[in-house]
Amino acid sequence: MNVAVELNEVSRRYTRRGTLALNSVSLAVPAGTFVAVMGRTGSGKSTLLQCAAGLDRPTSGTVRLAGQNITRMRERALTRLRRERIGFVFQSYNLLSELTVGQNVRLPGQLGAPRTRGVDDVLEAVGLAGLGRRPVGELSGGQRQRVALARALITSPAVIFADEPTGALDPTTGAQVLRLLRDAVDRDGVTVVMVTHDPVAAAWSDRLVLLRDGTVAADDPTPDAAAVAQRLAGVAA
Amino acid sequence: MIAGLVRQALRKHPWTFVGPACTQALAATIVTASLGLRASMSAANVSSPENGLDVVAPLFVMISVYLSLIIVGVTMGSAISRQARDIALARTIGAGPGQVRRAIALQAAVVALPSTAAGYLLGGLVGRLWVDGLVTNGVAPESVTFHGQPAALPIALAVTLPTSLLGAMIAAIRLSRIRPAAAMSDTAAPRRGAGIVRTIAGLLFAAGGVFAASRVATLDAEEAGAAAFIIMLAMCAAAGLLGPILLRAGAPLARVFGRTGAIAAGTMAVRARSLSGALVPLALATSFAAVKVAMHTTVAHVTGVDEARDVLWLDYSGTAVYTAFATVAALATLVTVTMSRRREFATVRLAGATRAHALRIVACEAIVVIVTSLVVAAAAAATLLVPLLHASLGVAMPHLPAGAVISGVFGVVAVVGLGTVLPAAFLLRRPPLEAVSVDA
Repeated sequence: MNVAVELNEVSRRYTRRGTLALNSVSLAVPAGTFVAVMGRTGSGKSTLLQCAAGLDRPTSGTVRLAGQNITRMRERALTRLRRERIGFVFQSYNLLSELTVGQNVRLPGQLGAPRTRGVDDVLEAVGLAGLGRRPVGELSGGQRQRVALARALITSPAVIFADEPTGALDPTTGAQVLRLLRDAVDRDGVTVVMVTHDPVAAAWSDRLVLLRDGTVAADDPTPDAAAVAQRLAGVAA
Repeated sequence: MIAGLVRQALRKHPWTFVGPACTQALAATIVTASLGLRASMSAANVSSPENGLDVVAPLFVMISVYLSLIIVGVTMGSAISRQARDIALARTIGAGPGQVRRAIALQAAVVALPSTAAGYLLGGLVGRLWVDGLVTNGVAPESVTFHGQPAALPIALAVTLPTSLLGAMIAAIRLSRIRPAAAMSDTAAPRRGAGIVRTIAGLLFAAGGVFAASRVATLDAEEAGAAAFIIMLAMCAAAGLLGPILLRAGAPLARVFGRTGAIAAGTMAVRARSLSGALVPLALATSFAAVKVAMHTTVAHVTGVDEARDVLWLDYSGTAVYTAFATVAALATLVTVTMSRRREFATVRLAGATRAHALRIVACEAIVVIVTSLVVAAAAAATLLVPLLHASLGVAMPHLPAGAVISGVFGVVAVVGLGTVLPAAFLLRRPPLEAVSVDA
């Protein structure tokens, strides 16, 4: 089985004597799966995402991403890997606010990533066909998230990391964004790792990882939203 | 992509480039005007070593070089550090540190070129007025008429472009290493502590300045003059390093103004670090001018003899150049700090403060900055003046006419007021909800 993201005994400590934000976490995400990571504030969700995506370096343990061991990878190689193989969608601060939709979507290509899909093609895929010349400032929150997703998709990445992608959206627009992530997994074979607080958002995933105090408390196929909420309450207690 | 980051920066934070742009325009103006003066003198075949006009051009060009280096470095640095989040985002989606550095270098060049051109044009005008003034005041002979120096534009560019790039690149070192993950966190908390190394370095500079000043009496006049300048710089370096602590110490002063003042005292403690960028040029210019003026006025007061007008003129015009640079630096820092507080003002307004209320908070903070700058300036000037005057004239107290004191205080008040209350009033005209939206 082809593993897209693999963490092996990963720990992360931010200050020398501080507590472990991640405590020996091991996790293997097969290619083409949609994983939701949940847990209450401070459980280590964001740290897990950042270590897995090569945005942060673990204190110990190893991380493999898109077939490469990134644990001790040089910054230059890591940057190129992010540019060519990884996509990102964050909660709110996703776009360069003074540029147009098209300029934002073209950014990875202009940075040197191979452009495997056209701007019009990805904008159409996220339902924003014809809005390429629109300034980002004029868009709604849901539209902005879809621009971020189009920017992530333009390089045909192996993995998309999403940090609370629906955190600032209403349920309807949130569902549109989740539907697009789901489509990327099902249609294009992209792997998605998503951190979220929202059981309804998590219900779109294939697999649910629950974190508590920096350790994996549960790692199972995703049930429906009500059951997700119940399990979340279980680890939060 | 690089062009994209530059466009983003210039459109999103245009006011942060006011500082470097004005400094560069000022440097270009001074270079052009002083080279024009030199060209005018040689066109009229006049050489006047006795009134020192020959040295004006090289002296002013040198002052412009090193003041631009310091001030453009500082203001460009603060302009670029505002872009931390955009840079972190670009880094996340795959911009390398080299690409970030190139984008920052391009910003520096894009700002330097038009401001230098504007300064060159202004310099022609200032040079003309200056030569006229020199002739009218009898410093230069009547045969001198203004002649522009065409080489001034490339020379001005040779001053502004490298200083701008150097300042930007120093700021870029830290920012190109920014953790990409910083783009994901919602707000980057400002660093608060003053830093033990910084404090110790500041105390050492202050102690060194005071010690050197106490030894000035043993030097002869020429050495004393050179030492005085170095002592002033040491005192100002000390003020710069201790700035955040000094402002935090001054903050409780705002409590005098009641409940609004108490809020201001709290916000001052948080802003101390960024506001100290304005404290240094204000204290530098005020203390420098105070020393220059007090030296002349005390001599005149004690001996009853006025110094030659042209000597005074030359000395004061040099001081005016320093003061102009310092004013630009202080104003730019204050405007940049104030304009970056849009969200904070909006939050205060949403929490129930009226516009006038928010403005009063800013005014209280301004008063703290004014008082702290004046106290620091007076202390730095006195450290130097008291031993110097004691040695040369045997008097204990410098004599400074009330008019000079009032205009100094008024100058500081005007600069701080223009840099804080005015931009705050502008920001507060916008509805607060607009400013707290997610992507602002």
